[in-house]
Amino acid sequence: MEDFWIEAIELTQSVIDGLLFGSTYALIGIGFTLIFGAMHKLNMTYAAASIAGAYVGLVVFVFFSAHPLLVFAVSSLASGLIGLLVYLICFRFIPVNNHLAALMATVGALFFIDEVIIHITNASPLAFPALFGAASFDLGAVWIRGDLLFVFAASVASTAALLYVLYRTRLGLATRAVSQQNVAAQLCGIDVHRTNATTFVVAGLLGGIAGAMTAASVGVLSPLLTLPITVKGLIVTVVGGLGSIPGAIIAGLMVGAAENVFLYLRGVNERDIYVLLLLFVFLVFRPNGIFGKSINRD
Amino acid sequence: MLELKGVTKRFGGVQAVNGLDISVAENEIFGLIGPNGSGKSTTVNLICGIYPVTAGEIVFNGKNLAGLPPHKRLRAGIARTFQNIRLFPNLTVWQNLLVARNSMEDVHSQSFLARWLGETRHTRGEIESILEFSDLADKADDLASNLAFGEQRRLELARAAAAKPRLLLLDEPAAGMNREEVQDLIHRVRGLRDSGITILLVEHVMQLVMNVTDRICVINFGQKIAQGTPDEIQNHSAVQEAYFGTTAGDPD
Amino acid sequence: MEFYFGLAQIIGIHVILGLSAYVLMLTGQLSLAQAGFFAIGAYSAGILTVLFQFHIVPALIIASLVAGLFAFLIGFPALRVRGLMLVVATIAFSEVVRLFFFNLSWRKTIDGIEAGPDSTNGFREIRFFAANGWEPYQVTLFVWLFVALVMFLIWWSDRARSGAVLRAVGEDELAAHSVGINITAVKVAAMTAGGMIAGIGGALYAHTATYVDHLTFTILLGTFAIAYPILGGLRSVFGTLLAVVLIQGVLVEGLRALGDWRNILFGVIIILTMNLKPGGLFDTQTVQALRKGLAFRDKGAPNA
Repeated sequence: MEDFWIEAIELTQSVIDGLLFGSTYALIGIGFTLIFGAMHKLNMTYAAASIAGAYVGLVVFVFFSAHPLLVFAVSSLASGLIGLLVYLICFRFIPVNNHLAALMATVGALFFIDEVIIHITNASPLAFPALFGAASFDLGAVWIRGDLLFVFAASVASTAALLYVLYRTRLGLATRAVSQQNVAAQLCGIDVHRTNATTFVVAGLLGGIAGAMTAASVGVLSPLLTLPITVKGLIVTVVGGLGSIPGAIIAGLMVGAAENVFLYLRGVNERDIYVLLLLFVFLVFRPNGIFGKSINRD
Repeated sequence: MLELKGVTKRFGGVQAVNGLDISVAENEIFGLIGPNGSGKSTTVNLICGIYPVTAGEIVFNGKNLAGLPPHKRLRAGIARTFQNIRLFPNLTVWQNLLVARNSMEDVHSQSFLARWLGETRHTRGEIESILEFSDLADKADDLASNLAFGEQRRLELARAAAAKPRLLLLDEPAAGMNREEVQDLIHRVRGLRDSGITILLVEHVMQLVMNVTDRICVINFGQKIAQGTPDEIQNHSAVQEAYFGTTAGDPD
Repeated sequence: MEFYFGLAQIIGIHVILGLSAYVLMLTGQLSLAQAGFFAIGAYSAGILTVLFQFHIVPALIIASLVAGLFAFLIGFPALRVRGLMLVVATIAFSEVVRLFFFNLSWRKTIDGIEAGPDSTNGFREIRFFAANGWEPYQVTLFVWLFVALVMFLIWWSDRARSGAVLRAVGEDELAAHSVGINITAVKVAAMTAGGMIAGIGGALYAHTATYVDHLTFTILLGTFAIAYPILGGLRSVFGTLLAVVLIQGVLVEGLRALGDWRNILFGVIIILTMNLKPGGLFDTQTVQALRKGLAFRDKGAPNA
């Protein structure tokens, strides 16, 4: 009986940690979903741009020993700027109906960013400043890591800011108009290119925060982070339902929790097998995601 | 040969087709008309199996079509054209016809491999004669996307005919055509009927409907409001009200 | 000389990998599962020649069939979804396969040496060619025999009705379904064919590299598989060949003097190509122009 309780408490602990860390997945997922919502296209560069933003933040930290919050702000801004560049080189001048070309161009940009990082850092991981490194809150049987709590709070704050922009400002209105009725929006005098570019910047700002947070909670920044984060981001986007922000949030937390539970139950080598099998089953039997509408778009 | 019995289709809360009964006889040209949004295109999509019916049944040659996917309905002998042309734009005219050869006869007369890979002399001859009939013989090697609008419309018709259907569903085949092109279409539709094909024509263009059909069914809000010969329909008061009354005369 | 044979083998194997993605892409679907099928082919063939002492040819055929079987089995559920959903579903499959081999340990003592897949340490003893005294040029010929076979089969069926059917599904599923094409059957068939082709590629890879481990078969490999046909264009198998020669031959191997700059250049080239020729190097216009230029008649039209 006692064993059972210990098991249960440890399981709860891993679910809590997973949920908290899952909030970074949620942020990345929101970024993917925003861009997909606006253009119905996939931006494979997104996670790489977020990590690149975190690298710029790290530069500020290393050379000017800036305050950690400033590091986050710089990461966010840098990633937003990269987002704009990605839009210009991978979407702006490629025919709208050519999904493959845009997809491939973003894969090219992904390689490019990754390789530039590898070139500059000689492919070695760099330490990233941890915020609230050792602090933790004891809740009786389980406890909450301070850094994860911060990550979670930052995710909630950025999501709230995003939702405010989307639903309470003119810019958000234009973005939503373009994503729902592209042609009609154009006829109403909305500059689609500018709106799309803005969406990329906004998603980039969000991604920079997510990238810096991931690095802060892992403790290191490495180009090896981009591929797993890209995959996690895609998974979250799809599980949440394409274009659905609430879906991405819930899916992000779910993926984070599932990952930690399988880590606890099956160990690090097999963890991802179960997460991915679950994903495959989910995709095939619930193809429209948690909150997805009954659309099946490319 | 085609019977719709109490066919109903709901999309969410919207009743697109409501208890529709239609009976099309062998070798006739049957017109289905109605104002925009009256459920005509939905009816075509129900017959060829793109949507499942919510209620009612569709019987073709004594066989209930429920649950048959579109490609099996084609084999059973139902082909269609699309209102907004849907050719395979990057295939040649010849290939557009070649891929459409999926009639029961074609499927069963050749081995799987022969159908998959080959063009027999027989196949080739049949496609050539369809191209000849459609005045597209000199365009065989052109990409479908490079054809003029009228030629694309003819190719849609030819592609449907290549499946050797017994029933052909024409979804607004005259949309966007000028008067001469409609006249040309009238000849082609009659020609198809004379070759033994039954035709269900969904149309807006009155020049076509009144000239070519044997019988007409008028629907509005997914329900049948009148049925009869073109003459009877033209003088029908409910039709005048629902259809001609609301549109500013002949749209063409 | 050795180097050039090695390069030719790499190019050949990547052409096979690219063509395995090409087949399904004709139906308008994008699969990132090719790395998974490639891994299944590599490990199956390696296990057969090392642990069961098979000759390379039957081992390769069986490996291809096994990979094809997996493609067929996941094709049915996976092809219920399309577009981005399929991309993510196939990423999931491919990673599951990779992680399976990451955990797979199957050691046997063969001729006094312990051999076989050894989970994290990889599968190190695939020495069929060396053990049987094949010269590098013979191995290269062997690889290119299969490259030629696969290219010919795809080129040939692309010119026949089957190619038109695959492309029709890719251009407009609804219209294809309405003209009587069973689109699920076509897509699953394409996926299976792609799986079989990737299996051949994997089997050849395992034996030319003599060593495989799970890190060979990441998403990156799956991305390369779709990158070749997209860059080369989906109008012709020669586009894929050209893309592989350019990327593997010129960029990765030919410009070694550039050091890691060539990887940066790789990204730039992809972006530039997609902006300047969104349909790939061999796009519709190019192929039409080439055909006209060569006065090459494709189909027997009446007034040919």
